[in-house]
Amino acid sequence: MIGRSEHLQDDRLVECYFSDRGGEPLDPPAVEHLADCESCGIRYAELVTFLDDMRTTSDAETDAVFTAERLHQQQEQILRRLEHASRSARVISFPGQSSSHPTAVAGRVAPRWLAAAAAAGLFVGAVGGTLVHSGFERSVTSMHVASNATASARLAPSPAVLLNAPANLSDNIDDDAFLMQLEFALERPHTQELQPFDALTPHVRPVGVNDIR
Amino acid sequence: MSDQQSVRQSGPATVSAAATSRERRTVPGPGSEDTRLAVEIRELVAHGDMDEARDRFAGLVATHQRRASRIAYQYLRDAAEADEAVQDAFVKAFGHIASYREAWPFEVWFTRILINGCLDRRKARARRDRWFAPADETPHDETRVPFGGVAELDPEAQLLARERRARLSAAIDRLDGRQRTVFMLCHYGDCTPREVSAMTGLNESTVRVHLFRAARKLRALLGAKS
Repeated sequence: MIGRSEHLQDDRLVECYFSDRGGEPLDPPAVEHLADCESCGIRYAELVTFLDDMRTTSDAETDAVFTAERLHQQQEQILRRLEHASRSARVISFPGQSSSHPTAVAGRVAPRWLAAAAAAGLFVGAVGGTLVHSGFERSVTSMHVASNATASARLAPSPAVLLNAPANLSDNIDDDAFLMQLEFALERPHTQELQPFDALTPHVRPVGVNDIR
Repeated sequence: MSDQQSVRQSGPATVSAAATSRERRTVPGPGSEDTRLAVEIRELVAHGDMDEARDRFAGLVATHQRRASRIAYQYLRDAAEADEAVQDAFVKAFGHIASYREAWPFEVWFTRILINGCLDRRKARARRDRWFAPADETPHDETRVPFGGVAELDPEAQLLARERRARLSAAIDRLDGRQRTVFMLCHYGDCTPREVSAMTGLNESTVRVHLFRAARKLRALLGAKS
């Protein structure tokens, strides 16, 4: 039993509102108090009006966006996706091969392609590794020269300006994975062994007026 | 007066008048129709009867898609993205129906999938906003969404409605992450604190605290009488 002098706190009123909304049983003393106490009744009425008003506004907005036609299209799209997802993948035969001897062809061609792919991969890896290694050496030797160019680097725009917004959502998903990796890399603590290299590397730093003079 | 009776029926006249305009929700229990249907679909999928399972799942989609769209739209504030989030959630629910357990209603299980998807999308959007310059000045639907028969409204009313929506959206965006989730699920998703507790893994009393704080903050932000 809640005495008339002990008014209901706001949290009790909110709880009453959402319990009532969800069809849950209400706290009997709170119900009794609301029936007896005019002050709490008025506070509760204000709360109900405020929250109901919010709900009405958002419902009207959502109904305007998600019309019956749109929901129907959405349902069809979902069912299409489900049908597509449950369909087993088909193996497409390699074009140009004779269909009369499928097993013999598959047995002969597959190792040849594997060997060719492995050779190509090895070649690309070796050339790429050499280029990267030589590029790294060149960048270390020319570091003193590059440090003079830091002034121009200071004026470089931020990544947010350099990059344009993505064209569509599928691109966004790829971009998102990339950005996640990028942020992860940026948040990583510096490795002790790389500190000397970091000291030699030109950085973009905020420039004061006195620095330019 | 019984516990089950509405507070507003026992309160002042103004309160009971407000109650009549509001629909009350029947809480689906673990033995509800949706839950039974979901269990049947699970069995059909287990037996490899995918066509029948899909047909029955269409019934669940029809039942829950409006509510799901409402929640996703309130979360994401973008119709196309909300549409995709809802589709993804249903596809994921069907794909993982084997892991569904009837201890909780289908609605609770599905809403959890939906909310996780929406949260991922919000995070992804925030990440994009940090790195990409916006190409479009109107990313959300605020400017193009008609408002409940807006064609009949005069321009001034349209403007007021739009401003009101913008204020509401901004106020909800200013809520703390958990407060926002709890408030969204309770207020727009018609979930009880117990259901929200099951969805989010938060303690039920913590859910109630978040709900109260969210309501208090919104009232302060939107300038309601206290």
